[in-house]
Amino acid sequence: MISFQKKELIIPYIILFIVMFLSVYPLLYMISVSLMTSGEASNQYLLPKVPRFENYIEVWSSNNFQQYTLNSIIISGLIVIGVLCTSIPAAYAFAKIQFPFRDVIFYSLLLSLMIPEIIALLPHLLIIRGNIFPLPFGPSWMNSLQGLTVPFFGNVFIIFLLRQYIKKIPNELWDAARMDGASHFYFLRKVVIPMSMPIIVTVSLFAFILAWNSFAWPLLILTKEDWFPVTVSIYSFIREAGTQYNLLMAASLISIFPVLLLYFFTQRLFLQSISNFGLKQ
Amino acid sequence: MSRIFSKYSEQINGYIFILPAFLIISLFGIFPVFFGMYMSLHKWKVFKGRFLGFENYQKILGDISSFWIFILGLLIMIASYWVWSEYKDKMKNSFYCFVVSSFILLISLYLINISWTNMMEKGDADFLNSLIYIFYYSFFAITTEVGLGLLIAFALYQKLKGKQFFQMILLFPYITPAVMGGAVFFIIFGKAENSILNEFIGLFGYDPQLWLFDKRKITEIMFGIKIEGFFAGPSLALLTSILYGVWSYTGYYAIILLAGLSIIPSDLYEAAKAEGATRWQTFIKITIPLLMPIIFFLLLTGFINSFQAFNHIMVMKTSSAGETMDVVTIEIFDHFWDRVKFGYAAAEGVVLFIILNVLAISQYVIFRKRLNYD
Repeated sequence: MISFQKKELIIPYIILFIVMFLSVYPLLYMISVSLMTSGEASNQYLLPKVPRFENYIEVWSSNNFQQYTLNSIIISGLIVIGVLCTSIPAAYAFAKIQFPFRDVIFYSLLLSLMIPEIIALLPHLLIIRGNIFPLPFGPSWMNSLQGLTVPFFGNVFIIFLLRQYIKKIPNELWDAARMDGASHFYFLRKVVIPMSMPIIVTVSLFAFILAWNSFAWPLLILTKEDWFPVTVSIYSFIREAGTQYNLLMAASLISIFPVLLLYFFTQRLFLQSISNFGLKQ
Repeated sequence: MSRIFSKYSEQINGYIFILPAFLIISLFGIFPVFFGMYMSLHKWKVFKGRFLGFENYQKILGDISSFWIFILGLLIMIASYWVWSEYKDKMKNSFYCFVVSSFILLISLYLINISWTNMMEKGDADFLNSLIYIFYYSFFAITTEVGLGLLIAFALYQKLKGKQFFQMILLFPYITPAVMGGAVFFIIFGKAENSILNEFIGLFGYDPQLWLFDKRKITEIMFGIKIEGFFAGPSLALLTSILYGVWSYTGYYAIILLAGLSIIPSDLYEAAKAEGATRWQTFIKITIPLLMPIIFFLLLTGFINSFQAFNHIMVMKTSSAGETMDVVTIEIFDHFWDRVKFGYAAAEGVVLFIILNVLAISQYVIFRKRLNYD
């Protein structure tokens, strides 16, 4: 057996405690710095002498930070809704409906996962500026909510995950529903979606985190601050000369918080899907 | 009309269901590659200019034929693996097979070497160097991540209390947005002499380091020898960004490897125990061989994915680290954001795309036999 005996279990515990410490240390340090005065922060103290919670209030009420956080929430929320609206029907169709070229289409979409984001970025920019073909809602999507969200409404990876799950729903259910005169849409809404709730929640979380993290794209298409998400605002904060680290860390912490909160509530599902996906890939 | 509709309703439904996703993915996922290729053939500064043909590629690679020789070298390298894996069991004497495949490997290394030197002489050295930097990044990051991940997976595999809790904490770094995580690392790995990290390594008698602000190569810092070229290794600044990659992905790989460990059938272990195998023998003879495909797979896909690392490197980049942190994605981004050379950047993107595809071919060759053993 590769299992350890009772007495030796101390070794894995030690390993895990070290790893755990290293994993959370940057976050703890972030908290600690965010409570320091700017002098303490730039001298890299371990802990603040007196915790200054005012830093959070200062960050929260300054530099449009509330606006940026709200932007991030709106952008990520919209992307999650958009992705679910396109991906669930598509995944259902790829899993359960028979139509010509179904698998060919699916696998050629999967191939697009191979394409590095950085290559796509350039043509995206031209599309968004309306240089390639006319866009609905205005001549250009630069500096706009559409530009920030619509390109991310289709996600092959998410379709793939959903399809794997929906495939497991027995076909007999659909046969029975069709006998009763149900349409595909009705069946999808009443049976498939409720049954695949676990994966839908996971996938939404996944999409939300991805959207919350998005950085290169907003950095590229936003020239005005109106729609800055938190990532871009923190980046420009770092790049400013004489940044006050304590405020930077307070801002970072505030903007990590929603993600951590969501993760905390869905971690079991998240863990499961990671371990499943990694093996089936 | 309605009869036709009801006859084909299944098909029509299918197409309607996939239409929105299909449109967006083909527009924003697939079309850009072809358009990028189109752009790369033009002089393109914000707006389309005249047709250049392969001039952009000429500038980047110096000599396009050396690039193809380079790609050929990579393919031959894959072929040498293929020969080895295909014939080592079929032939009576696997020694000949070993000789043949290592001969092929040597040829490939030779081709790669001459074509690369050739490109370096005539081409855009910044871009070619950025490919080397991303190679360092991907290689060191992924091997450390999977290696440590394996260790953690073994630890988690034991009967421990609070397993769920450990796993939850382990994924924390993976969840943390790269920009914010990069911001903390930017402070922790700062250049202050009295920073926590520098004081910590001081406990072991090391001098304080400049970390993200240090562009000296790692070989120079560790062994005091100055070498040029590929074997000099990453700069300390790049190494720090590798540490970020390790921090953020190790837990993720540990979770996957743990899942891999737990699907190894337990009767195999029991059989081994009945035969009187020691724990070490069981580990070497059963666990490792059964886990090997997964490890290999993770190494390869992770390697390819790491080629796209961008966010945290962009955040952690300092001007004193110079170009040693300009990995390929940063280099491309720089070209069309700061220097507005769209056509040139697109050509660089296409070169990267070709290289990634060759890596993907290697993935296909190595994993053409399925991984599953159920």
